[in-house]
Amino acid sequence: MEKQNKSLKKGLRFYMHLYRMILIQDLKSKMSYRADFIISTIGMILTNLSGFAAFWILFRNFPSIKGWSYHEILFLYGFSLLAITPVQCFFDNNWSIYRMVYTGDFIKYCFRPVNLFFYFISEVFDIKGVGQFIFGVGVLAYAWNKLRIPCTPIYLFVLLMSVLSASLFMISLMNLAAATGFWIMGSAYVMIFAFKFKDYARYPITIFNPVFRFIFTFIIPIAFVAYYPSLFLVRADEVPLLTYLSPILGIMFFYLSYKVWMKGAMSYSGTGS
Amino acid sequence: MSETRPSFVRKYLALTKASMMESLAFRTSIFVTILGNLVYLIMIYFLWQAIYASSPTPIVNGMTFYDTMVYLVLAAAMFNFLECFIVWSLGRDFQSGQIVVSLTKPIDYQVFTFFAVLGQYIMAFLTTFLPTFIIVCLMTKGGVPLGINLIFLVISMVFSVIINFCVDFFVGVICFYTQSIWGINVMKEVVVALLSGAAIPLAFFPAVLRKIIRFLPFHAIYNTPLQILTDESLTLTNYLEMLINQVFWVVLMIGITRIFWNASKKFITVNGG
Repeated sequence: MEKQNKSLKKGLRFYMHLYRMILIQDLKSKMSYRADFIISTIGMILTNLSGFAAFWILFRNFPSIKGWSYHEILFLYGFSLLAITPVQCFFDNNWSIYRMVYTGDFIKYCFRPVNLFFYFISEVFDIKGVGQFIFGVGVLAYAWNKLRIPCTPIYLFVLLMSVLSASLFMISLMNLAAATGFWIMGSAYVMIFAFKFKDYARYPITIFNPVFRFIFTFIIPIAFVAYYPSLFLVRADEVPLLTYLSPILGIMFFYLSYKVWMKGAMSYSGTGS
Repeated sequence: MSETRPSFVRKYLALTKASMMESLAFRTSIFVTILGNLVYLIMIYFLWQAIYASSPTPIVNGMTFYDTMVYLVLAAAMFNFLECFIVWSLGRDFQSGQIVVSLTKPIDYQVFTFFAVLGQYIMAFLTTFLPTFIIVCLMTKGGVPLGINLIFLVISMVFSVIINFCVDFFVGVICFYTQSIWGINVMKEVVVALLSGAAIPLAFFPAVLRKIIRFLPFHAIYNTPLQILTDESLTLTNYLEMLINQVFWVVLMIGITRIFWNASKKFITVNGG
């Protein structure tokens, strides 16, 4: 714990430098598996194409959902793809926790004089998230154009801010799901469970009844992964308070998930060997 | 190995029993899976309710909201019961070289894998599909026709399990060549989820797409048993036709995987020495 505190004082510049170093090493090792990289990218593109196909088939049969037009929902869809890019690219190592706890490999992270969470997360950069990002940009640009949202620097800045705050919610959700791995054996199921939420986050929260609207806003906050932050752009005339609060709530939620994650990691006692 | 050679059935059923016990060891994961399914059912319910509420007619493509719900709920239950992560375990076996140990045993690797997974299938059937099925039956109060179709359903689901296993095994063996598990697995997952009708009922698909799907094995995994269960208008001839169609896929898929596996096995020997 003493070491932990000291490392926190090392400052942002130290950590940025460290992140770059680790990132370069990770990319180097990834490059040696070129086939895996290409196949994973194709897989990612296919995932998005099939998601889009499902979407398209649905809207062939139904003109709108709860007063939301095809292009508006498409906007949410593209927005949610951008919002899950950070969790895919930068926080992918969370998926290894349950296995590393099981095999005992996790212990190696506990002996480094840097922040444990930072070191663990920075170890993996997932390139295939980039493909998803590009796909999301394409979908969003198309819907943006069709909805006739002005394309000014202010709007782009609003987009950037709202995507960032939306992404915090998905990151926090996955952090919490991954942290269960410290207490429950074989908790891949929790991760899969949490990650599936992203598929439903792309629909307006208004489709739910008040009880579930409350649950999906305040307890499992998936309404913030696309719906609330994007209202600024899609429906600028009816922006609720929660949209304005989403950056602050996102930071708070992320901090909470970080604390839980660290608590889990601290309670980890190794396999005993 | 010489004096007491266990019979074929005893030999392989021991594996099934072991894998059933293994699944039971992860009771928390069963609980989380059931809870997770419940949350998804709620989401699917509200989503489709909103979709149907926006539709000008209550019947779309011959399906009411009610029909769609029963279909999708059972499809989700089947999807969870058939997902046993075979591609992952095969892929890891290949990558770690563990496969060599299995190959030296006096058993057929493909049959070995099937019976080892069978226990997981049985446990997943009992913990996810059966409870969901009973809940749907009770909640719809006779909405699901229960009669002669149940016998055909059971037969059809056995075929589903075999076809699904073959697809997974085939995809798993591909991993041996590509060194990429995630990419290959995700491709399989999205293709199966979309083209089997598990995500959106096949009745909603455009005619052209439906014609193409008829030539693929995926509809025989999910759509056939679900149609047998939910479609009341089917006659005995229809049932038999559907089952014969499944048998065709079973034979074809077993044939294809046998050929592919035997060819790959030689490659392993050459490679590993």
